[in-house]
Amino acid sequence: MSLRRSSGLVGVVALALALTGCGSSDSKSDSSGKGGTRVFAADNGKIKIPADPKRVVATGYAVPVMIEADAPLVGISSWKRGEPMMSKKDLATYKKLPKVAGEQARETNYEAVAEAKPDLIVIGVPAPVLGDIDVKRLESIAPVVAIGPTVPSAWRELSHKQADAAGALKQFDSVKAKYEAKAAKLAKKYKNVLPQIKMGHVGAYGESAKGTFQREFGRSWGTNVAEDVGAKYYGEVKKKGPGSRAVSEYPSLEELPESLGKADAITYSVNPDGSVPEPVKYVMDSKLWKNLPAVKAGKTFPIRYTEAATYGSAMQTLDAIDESFAPLLKR
Amino acid sequence: MTVAGRTSEAAPEGASEGASEAASGTAGTGRVVPRAGLLVGGVVLLVAVAVVSIGVGARPVSPTEVVRALLDYRGTDDHVIVRDVRAPRALLAIAVGAALAVAGALIQTLARNPLAEPGILGVTAGAGFAITLGSGLGFAAGQAGQLGCAIAGSVLAALLVAAVGRRSPLRLVLTGVALTAVLSGVALGMRLMLPDTFDVYRFWSVGSLAAREQAPLALPLAAIAVALLGALLLSRALNALALGETVAHTLGAGVGRVRAVALVLITVLSGAATAVAGPILFVGLIVPHLVRRPAAGSVPWLILHSMVLGPILLLVADMGSRVLLPTGEVPVAVVTAFLGGPMLIWAVRRYGAGSL
Repeated sequence: MSLRRSSGLVGVVALALALTGCGSSDSKSDSSGKGGTRVFAADNGKIKIPADPKRVVATGYAVPVMIEADAPLVGISSWKRGEPMMSKKDLATYKKLPKVAGEQARETNYEAVAEAKPDLIVIGVPAPVLGDIDVKRLESIAPVVAIGPTVPSAWRELSHKQADAAGALKQFDSVKAKYEAKAAKLAKKYKNVLPQIKMGHVGAYGESAKGTFQREFGRSWGTNVAEDVGAKYYGEVKKKGPGSRAVSEYPSLEELPESLGKADAITYSVNPDGSVPEPVKYVMDSKLWKNLPAVKAGKTFPIRYTEAATYGSAMQTLDAIDESFAPLLKR
Repeated sequence: MTVAGRTSEAAPEGASEGASEAASGTAGTGRVVPRAGLLVGGVVLLVAVAVVSIGVGARPVSPTEVVRALLDYRGTDDHVIVRDVRAPRALLAIAVGAALAVAGALIQTLARNPLAEPGILGVTAGAGFAITLGSGLGFAAGQAGQLGCAIAGSVLAALLVAAVGRRSPLRLVLTGVALTAVLSGVALGMRLMLPDTFDVYRFWSVGSLAAREQAPLALPLAAIAVALLGALLLSRALNALALGETVAHTLGAGVGRVRAVALVLITVLSGAATAVAGPILFVGLIVPHLVRRPAAGSVPWLILHSMVLGPILLLVADMGSRVLLPTGEVPVAVVTAFLGGPMLIWAVRRYGAGSL
């Protein structure tokens, strides 16, 4: 799957967030433990869920999190965009699990969900997109918790919350620890280089047909994992919006010099296979790109797996960043 | 929008004068001077609007730098923006505006229907279908792929409509409407089944002149230039055809040949314009209406004036598309429709909706 292909879906998510001002839910769950249930704070309110769920259905962004955390899944939605970032084991699990919904929230198959006999349903879509789902119908099958994406970098908290709801924190914490150890190791490796560099990022969710590009700042898709390694992304969006609009913007290509002219180095998103997505290619083919000081200095770095939203997939992003930044150590 | 309309042999107002001009090869001096004066004025306005459009954009560039970029290129960011982004865009607006306006004038003359526009030949639907199909099959990735698909789709659709409907204007209109409905329906079904294809199509479907500077435009622009020249050469023969087939036969015009050549020209003009900029329908409908009065029933003057007013309209709409939003752009097709609707109503109320 290319980054370009998922841009529409991400755009829909961003637009939906912008329209409704959706924010992150309170990530603190309230466990009572009475009668094997607990109250869990989600986007759709405080929900009574099983303290130790045995049959979980997950959709959207919750799918890769649950698979990675070895949650007791009995049904999932299709999640093609995450396939290139899954490990072989997780991909096999993903393919084997019954699909109870399509890529879009509105493609939920309620009969298939009911047939899976879940005791918990975790919906990983933004709160506005919940309108596409008949939540009441799902609630007649099992307790429903909605935990959707907000600012791109918030995948850490959201995935924790999703795994917590499914009672799968043990494996989750194990993978998280591995990620953090690896990030710390890389941060140490690049500590004499990265913090001194003023970085900018060109994302792949822009639409080249509109003559714009995606400028990503700190805490965005293309930057948040690099920040864990010590990269410093300068600047901020001109007019902040909710969700990903708080950390990325879509200026005209004419504004490229103004946007990235002060960057010492520029990172840019590429597809998992290393190919350059169309929106980024449009920028890189421009003479304005070639005029940028960072480009003239040869300090441009591709980053793969910028869509990572789980600790496991972000480990691949760390590897990609290490591979890309390696020349910095030789200078 | 296309409407099957009047196809009678009655000569519309103004057409007899044009025909007599065509037959005699002369024209009243009193008429020619205002027409020529308007045309020259239009060309001057076009040049002025084109220069202004090069100075307008997301990044402020002073008029001095604009001139310097054109005459003394140094490769600075401002110069790159003027020479490599805005100037090609202005050139594209001129070419697309002229192509759509002249295609509109030709199809309205040929169909003898004032509500006809280039899309009547199925060009837009054909291009959209090809983009959808090409995207589904993986051919329409990138600007070059989309350009190729759009050209192929528009040409094939227009050829099919022309082949079936070439015998009469009414048959042509009905064939175009029918093919458009079929292609649009099938393409819609495909897009609903393929979300990624829908993603590609939704950006293409709103015509825009933005970001075309990197696309391979030489061939479509050359095709437009040749077709515009062809339209001028054919315009005198179309004068006779505007009177109806019987009268045209009486005047010695080769009706079948003229109609076939006109269809080819419309296909090339609207197909190339749609391929490079996406669907911008209103220009082909509104411009012939606006210049009908000054053309005074003469097809050659109608085409000449369309050739000048079309680019002006598109350049103005394109400037609007760049400045209407604080960040990003409004697609030019939206601005064109926004401007074109009131203008069309005004023109129809002021001058009526009679065809040539």
